Amino acid sequence: MSGFLEQYGFLIVTMVQAGLLGLSLYFPLQAGQLSLASPGFYALGGYVAAIMLTNPAFSGLRDTLGNGMFPLTWLVAALLCGLLGLFVGVPALRLRGIYLALATIAFVEILRVVSLNLAVTGGAIGIFGIPQAFGFQDRWQYLWLFGPLLLLTLLFARQLERSRVGRAFRAIREDELAADAMGVPPTRYKVLAFVIGAVLAGIVGAMSAPFLNTWNAKQGTFDASIAILAFVLIGGSRNIWGPVVGGALLTAIPEVLRFLADWRLIINGLVLVVASLYLPQGIVGALQGVRRPPPPRRPPSVPAVVEAPGGGA
Amino acid sequence: MTAVSTERATVLEARGLTRRFGGLVAVNDVSFDVREGEIFGLIGPNGAGKTTLFNLMTGLTPPSSGTLTYRGHNVTGLAPHRIAALGISRTFQNIRLFRALSALENVKIAQHVRTGAGLWAGVFGTARAEERRVEERAWALLDLVGLADRAGELAANFSYGDQRRLEIARALATEPRVLLLDEPAAGMNTAEKGQLTAFIREVHDRFDLTVLVIEHHVPLVMNLCDRVAVLNFGQLIAVGDPGAVQRDPKVIEAYLGGE
Amino acid sequence: MELSQFLQNVLNGLAIGSVYAIFALGYTLVFSILGIINFAHGAVFTLGAYFTYTLVVGQFENNGLLKGINLFPNGSPLSGNPAVFALATLIGAVVAGLVAVLIERLAFRPMRARGAEPLLALVSSLGVALVIVNLIQLLVGAEIYNFPSDAYGQVQPALSFHIGDRVVIVRTVQLIIFAVSLVMLAVLGYVIGRTKVGKALRAVAENPGTASLLGISVDRFILITFFLSGFLGGLAGTLVGTAFGVAGPYFGVTYGLKGLAVIVLGGLGSIPGAVVGGLVIGLAEAFVPAQYSAYKDAVAFALLFVILLVRPQGLLGRAQIQKV
Repeated sequence: MSGFLEQYGFLIVTMVQAGLLGLSLYFPLQAGQLSLASPGFYALGGYVAAIMLTNPAFSGLRDTLGNGMFPLTWLVAALLCGLLGLFVGVPALRLRGIYLALATIAFVEILRVVSLNLAVTGGAIGIFGIPQAFGFQDRWQYLWLFGPLLLLTLLFARQLERSRVGRAFRAIREDELAADAMGVPPTRYKVLAFVIGAVLAGIVGAMSAPFLNTWNAKQGTFDASIAILAFVLIGGSRNIWGPVVGGALLTAIPEVLRFLADWRLIINGLVLVVASLYLPQGIVGALQGVRRPPPPRRPPSVPAVVEAPGGGA
Repeated sequence: MTAVSTERATVLEARGLTRRFGGLVAVNDVSFDVREGEIFGLIGPNGAGKTTLFNLMTGLTPPSSGTLTYRGHNVTGLAPHRIAALGISRTFQNIRLFRALSALENVKIAQHVRTGAGLWAGVFGTARAEERRVEERAWALLDLVGLADRAGELAANFSYGDQRRLEIARALATEPRVLLLDEPAAGMNTAEKGQLTAFIREVHDRFDLTVLVIEHHVPLVMNLCDRVAVLNFGQLIAVGDPGAVQRDPKVIEAYLGGE
Repeated sequence: MELSQFLQNVLNGLAIGSVYAIFALGYTLVFSILGIINFAHGAVFTLGAYFTYTLVVGQFENNGLLKGINLFPNGSPLSGNPAVFALATLIGAVVAGLVAVLIERLAFRPMRARGAEPLLALVSSLGVALVIVNLIQLLVGAEIYNFPSDAYGQVQPALSFHIGDRVVIVRTVQLIIFAVSLVMLAVLGYVIGRTKVGKALRAVAENPGTASLLGISVDRFILITFFLSGFLGGLAGTLVGTAFGVAGPYFGVTYGLKGLAVIVLGGLGSIPGAVVGGLVIGLAEAFVPAQYSAYKDAVAFALLFVILLVRPQGLLGRAQIQKV
């Protein structure tokens, strides 16, 4: 068992990481917003952690907190990404469809170029020598961090789906104007969905910085945006498991195909083309397509006569 | 049939509502009052600006000029969700149900503005009582329109007539005091139109609503409405009792050569 | 800023801006007719550059399957004077156009036929881009290839003229870029505005359903559009390759992204918009002060972000009226 973990630990953690990043795109998508901003928040979260864990300015704090520093980095990353998500989201989410996607692409690029040029982020070289979280000796031990995060996120997503807020998201995704007319404020919920995605990506970034030991501008690129989009579309965009399955699979395939060396990325590209053609609902969608959801059960205490409203102005 | 009382309060007041799109004036200086509890019809030839007027009144399009007052509040240019919160709800000419969602979902969503569970309440499951009420109310509304046995079916799969009923159920879920129906009988045959007329009346009586109806089918409007307004080329050319309006020479001229 | 520096910046800006414009025209053509962004456009751009290189130099020293191959041991017939170089460029652009047509056939048409969600076409075009770019890398390696300086003949590398006691330099290759852009624009404007083909293209862009009812073969015109788009992309790639060297198979990616900024700035789907957008971004980049030159790449995206917030339909696009 330990041999397996040692050999494949890194890969498994990366697969879980990919699933989490897929979920960070899934949340805005639930409200109908195609946001390609996740890599930007992921990179930001990672830089926050990297700086807090290596920069001399924080050495006093590091000595005081010891291992407690690591969860602090997650918190700070979450807060910063949430704030930035709010700041970017409020204006950007007035846009629809491809315009929003393009605005988020621009955001990621701007962040990338800025991070390439600031001293505190280490410029083009980035930051290296990031200490291992909690003194982990092996890469697979990071499953203790990413695993619970994934489970919590899935739980969060499922609860959200069944709640009033989840319904608001779906309404906006289906028909923003009709949702507005039926009393659902679109901008508020679009921004909320966007911020949830941003915070998640930020936390994943903060956890990933120690995992990878180094952090640089390559973590937040347009390529990553597209990779994450592929996770969600190929895995399935209408179900919380879709991004997880898509992320895991599309991360594992290039590894499994390692022996193909230079042909690896070509195959990856072909997989994208073929999957978009033959799996329009994604893998999970295709698997689910066969089963129809059970009809909703009527609660026992439905009033026989609908009362006249007491509400209204 | 309730008698139209001149003592009834004015619930909606439109003054000089105008909407321009580039060079085109879709709604031109329209002013009228709607009284509490009445069924008010809006008729006119195609392209007269009726739907645009509804859009102005429900916040989907801001007016170029003019005001709309609801129970004394100035609601001109408010966002649609604010207007829904104040108690005005509507259906759409082209039916805008949430097609990929079930009938039950459609009706549950529209209760948003009368409920309050936020993100954390939803995630931690502390809003169970509210959720139960939302669920029950949604089923009750589906019962009302006779679609409860198909609560789980996707809205897109319903027949045209059933979709219209579902849209009305959804509009009712926002607990409105004023209901705007945009061509609710379009595409229906005579029998269905009769059923719909009865249904609108039932809903009006049961929920104590004020109803505005855009309709093309003049006999339906005459049968159903307490008062009627006639729009032509964006302008209001007549308002009043259905019989009188029908005999108004300007109205007759507007419809000449039309349907 | 001194006049000479100002003029130099303007010239440089217009030159690079023209390339952006040509490239963006390819994007905008496909967008106006299919309403989607073809992410494989950057790969076609790259392909155009490499293919022209093959015709003009034909020597592959970098690590790839074709390493060591020298097609023209005695020099390429398509090198040495402006006319044959132009021919090589043209051929490269045509090949790029044909590849674009192939891409349409393989990646886009089946999606349309199935009525698939437009997002999937995006992912598909990205997959295609990945395949093309990595195939190039596999074949000829990832390092830079440079066009020899005598590729288009014994022409002065640059013209210089004096303003006061300063010198302003216009590289010959920049002049070529201007000339080509102007010609391309004029030709495209003529084809789209005045010919029957152009009218049909506009009809399909406006409303494919109606167009097909009028007897226009929508599929055929989509093919023509893709060919034109690829042609323009390949042409832009060759121009950039000639001016700055072919910096590896990924050099189309930055252009691909900037191209997005260009078309949004100019207005999605607007042909004059692509030109205006390209020139504006080119000029903006040229005027970035030297100490901030590292941030040059961010200029396009900052402009993109700002225009999306202030005027999403772009400088020359029409405001979208929502039908309720």
